[in-house]
Amino acid sequence: MPTFATLALCRSTLLAWAISLAAVGAAAEGITLPPDSSKLRPSTLPGYALAQQKCGICHSADYISHQPPGLSQAQWTAEMGKMQHSYGAPLSPDEIALIGAYLAVAYGSAKASDTSVSSLTAGWETAQMARESKPAGDSGAIDVQALLTANACLGCHALKKAVVGPAFSAVAARYRGEANAPALLAKSIRQGGVGKWGQVAMPPMAHLGDDQIRALAAFVLKQ
Amino acid sequence: MGPTEPFIASTRRREFLRKASTLALAATPMGQAMAIDTDEGVTFAAGPRPLVSYPGKRPLILVHSRPPHLETPFAVFNEGPITPNDAFFVRYHLADFPHTIEPDTYRLLIKGAVSKVLSMSLDELKTMPGQTELVAVNQCSGNSRGYFSPRVFGAQLGNGAMGNAHWTGVSLKAVLERAGVQAGARYVTFNGLDTPVMASTPDYRKALDIEHALSPEPLLAWAMNGEDLPFLNGYPLKLIVPGYFGTYWVKHLAEIEVIDHEFTGHDSYFMSKGYRLPDNDCLCVAPGTAANKTRPISTLPVRSFLTSVTAGGVLPAGQVVELKGLAFDRGAGLKAVDVSIDGARSWRSATLGSDLGRFSFREWRLSVTFERKGPASVMVRATNRQGEVQPMKADWNPGGYRRRVVETTSITIA
Repeated sequence: MPTFATLALCRSTLLAWAISLAAVGAAAEGITLPPDSSKLRPSTLPGYALAQQKCGICHSADYISHQPPGLSQAQWTAEMGKMQHSYGAPLSPDEIALIGAYLAVAYGSAKASDTSVSSLTAGWETAQMARESKPAGDSGAIDVQALLTANACLGCHALKKAVVGPAFSAVAARYRGEANAPALLAKSIRQGGVGKWGQVAMPPMAHLGDDQIRALAAFVLKQ
Repeated sequence: MGPTEPFIASTRRREFLRKASTLALAATPMGQAMAIDTDEGVTFAAGPRPLVSYPGKRPLILVHSRPPHLETPFAVFNEGPITPNDAFFVRYHLADFPHTIEPDTYRLLIKGAVSKVLSMSLDELKTMPGQTELVAVNQCSGNSRGYFSPRVFGAQLGNGAMGNAHWTGVSLKAVLERAGVQAGARYVTFNGLDTPVMASTPDYRKALDIEHALSPEPLLAWAMNGEDLPFLNGYPLKLIVPGYFGTYWVKHLAEIEVIDHEFTGHDSYFMSKGYRLPDNDCLCVAPGTAANKTRPISTLPVRSFLTSVTAGGVLPAGQVVELKGLAFDRGAGLKAVDVSIDGARSWRSATLGSDLGRFSFREWRLSVTFERKGPASVMVRATNRQGEVQPMKADWNPGGYRRRVVETTSITIA
């Protein structure tokens, strides 16, 4: 009959064995998050495309849709200011005003016909017409760096490293050898999408001109 | 169920029914599993909020998808004073956090104004002196923000961004003393493995005064209710600051730094700009106004909730019914929970349940009889041992933090 001491010894040996096994074999803890299916409310206001590009870099659209109802344009615009000055969102003062107006119409108390909203839209359309009436050069004349900055592409992508979206070099590698790679990639940039690279959606870049999208695709495929 | 049936049997039966209903819920496709009111009296720009399944969690209320933010359905709080791990709320600030963590290679770094920089493994933490455990409430600063009037931006939470668990770990004091805190140390800062998506966004870091960090209370926990921390609650190590709001309970804790100066700079945002209250006696301002001066949010105010019946519920007239709920405070300890069913004209003291420690939820029960049919209300008011009592009128602050008003639940007597 084993004594208490030998039992205790056996137990402590077993325990030590179990601990050493645990130390060697501790499995990595991991999770797979469900896809984010939240989407911004569609709108013809210029702030809609901007919001799709910029907000989703850091957070899902339900951060917006789950705010209180009935907030004013001044409140939504002030909140966009906070996103820029507190959280470093890549937003110009014009973009803060346009996104604030869109969110106040889509989720708050403002209407697209409010002067405070329609004047912003009119100003944006005038500026857009001025941009489009500039003499069109060939796509080589398009400033790709300026496009990348203006459309917040670099919030989610880097040249060599996956950030929110894939590295440009990884996109280029995937399309290598594909005959109509420029057209396929241009389509992805224009339409956006989710699932090819992960569960965070890329917003559509449909507001860009064909030549601008071609230039972006060409740039990415060179990486 | 007959009155002679043993209590344990009825408990088992309830447990079985609860499990059965959870299973039924889990087996129901999303979208059909909407038997509970996920909005809990809060309105949204676009709702309702769905119930969602995240790793390690039963269906919880979706506050935000990325980064994840999940609220506990209020019905869970009627199950008992300990919140189950799979029902515990989830709150991240920054979307870039690891989805896989290796416990063998994980290290906690202790650096700054210390005699010796330490890089500690989980095994070292689990075997060093200073092992400790306690039951404590983790409540989000913005819990109940959805009930603020006027409304404010931020997560529009109902009352489910809180939970109570048994935490096992090592005392922060023991870890700091092992590293050797230098004279002149003023604060200890804490950083988890979560990082901002863009470099222009501040990191999520919190600070405690050196006196608080070296007090017996804070601990570094690896276990919650006897199991490894759920991944989404901060696996493998979480800072537990009993009596303080959840904002200090840093998840995926990876770095502790002792500093001999004020905590300032870009990455001090969540101390120096965010999570602050008006710096005055009531920690409040006139509704809709700004605060001139602010201070970091700190301890939990005394609060209490009715859990056995929720808003819109129906109770019988002319019969004895047992009301049940929870109360907690910052650790001063609860003195009384009083209940009014006549619109605050009279109050009756509830019986307090077992004491799981001064930082824990404490159950209360009171048998009442509603005489008349029609609309009725139940008010619950807690008082702690230092005389702090819940106010009848809600105070207001711009962040929508620290709600503590006496809760009133509107029901129908039929």
